[in-house]
Amino acid sequence: MNEHDSSQLGAYVLGALEPDEAREVDQHLATCADCRAELAELEEMKEFLGEVPPEAFLEGPPPDGDLLLQRTLREVRTTAAPERRRRSRWLMAAAAVVVIAGALAGGILIGRQSVSPADAPVAGAKQVIATDGTTGTTMATTVEPRGGWSWVEVKLTGLKAGAECEMLVTDKGGKTWVAGTWSVSEKSAREGSWFAGGVLVPIDQVKSVQIRTLQGQHVVTTEV
Amino acid sequence: MWVPAVAGIVRSVGDYRSPEAAEALVRVLYAEHGRSLLAYATRLTGDRAAAEDVVQETLVRAWKHADDLTEGKGSVRGWLLTVARNIVTDRARARAARPTEVADVEERTPVEGDHSESVVNTMVVLDALDQVSAEHREVLVQLYYRGRSVAEAAKELGVPPGTVKSRSYYALRALRAVMSGDPVPARGKGEVAR
Repeated sequence: MNEHDSSQLGAYVLGALEPDEAREVDQHLATCADCRAELAELEEMKEFLGEVPPEAFLEGPPPDGDLLLQRTLREVRTTAAPERRRRSRWLMAAAAVVVIAGALAGGILIGRQSVSPADAPVAGAKQVIATDGTTGTTMATTVEPRGGWSWVEVKLTGLKAGAECEMLVTDKGGKTWVAGTWSVSEKSAREGSWFAGGVLVPIDQVKSVQIRTLQGQHVVTTEV
Repeated sequence: MWVPAVAGIVRSVGDYRSPEAAEALVRVLYAEHGRSLLAYATRLTGDRAAAEDVVQETLVRAWKHADDLTEGKGSVRGWLLTVARNIVTDRARARAARPTEVADVEERTPVEGDHSESVVNTMVVLDALDQVSAEHREVLVQLYYRGRSVAEAAKELGVPPGTVKSRSYYALRALRAVMSGDPVPARGKGEVAR
């Protein structure tokens, strides 16, 4: 090896030189402090390479692994499913608003039946229940945290059939947000009414949830 | 890089928690990294069935931690391999400890395994390897990870042995530059494949 022909050192460190070439490098290293210092640096890099398993450089899917993929997808689908139910309820709540808007315009009242009962609340959710002394309406409110917004679900008993309601969320700054409107069917008046909507208020800023008729009459309020 | 593919999926589908996005994410991860993961897990466990369980759990965790994968900008493969190794280690420890120390095993938080120091190292090194040029990475893979001699690598890569030697030297220097945060040598830039 020529003096300071450091380009041999890479292959030397990686153990890829032929035995006679490696011996030449050994001999040179014995007499050259510069190359020994450089060698130490390269060896450090080799140590780093050792942190990565050789399998890291295989590409693509495994051969004969389709069953494994299907099994994994099944597990993920099963786990992801509760989220889908929430999302579809959100869509149904949104659809209810559209129905009501159309109904009011046409002068026809379309009752909205209650949707499936709420799932177990997610982590960080708040639940409160209150009964209004005047109207006799009881409301169980669940507020679930989302990414910077909140999902509000209410279960109401004691509403009058035909009543047109809106759900209002007031934040700690005093601003009031409409989280949806609906009308109460005979069945919901009898068996209880479920409603939900989203508001662009972080959960720690949600102060209260109020139900009011579209005519502006107070029905019930829960302080969160 | 692996990251953009995953980030693209998450962005295009929106909320990866929806079953559709979750499925898309898992399919992409499986198609890109499945072979690597299963081979690694098979070597560690010495058992194909156990290895498949490990891969399944790894992909499920990847989906649950999709934020880390997409926002961290780190090597997705490094993350997956590390998690797979932790799962294997945790299971081996649990098996070894169970007869006498059931309580200890149950109390141990599995989270620890996700963020131990060697975890970071695998990811850091794979990241660094992603930042050197494809030529440099290739020669390191041949000589170090595949254990080839200079002559074998020269044949495989279709370049003279002298080129393999000098490239391996400059590859290690480039790696060192990346690891120490220095600017990558010019030819390393813009050549990042994968």
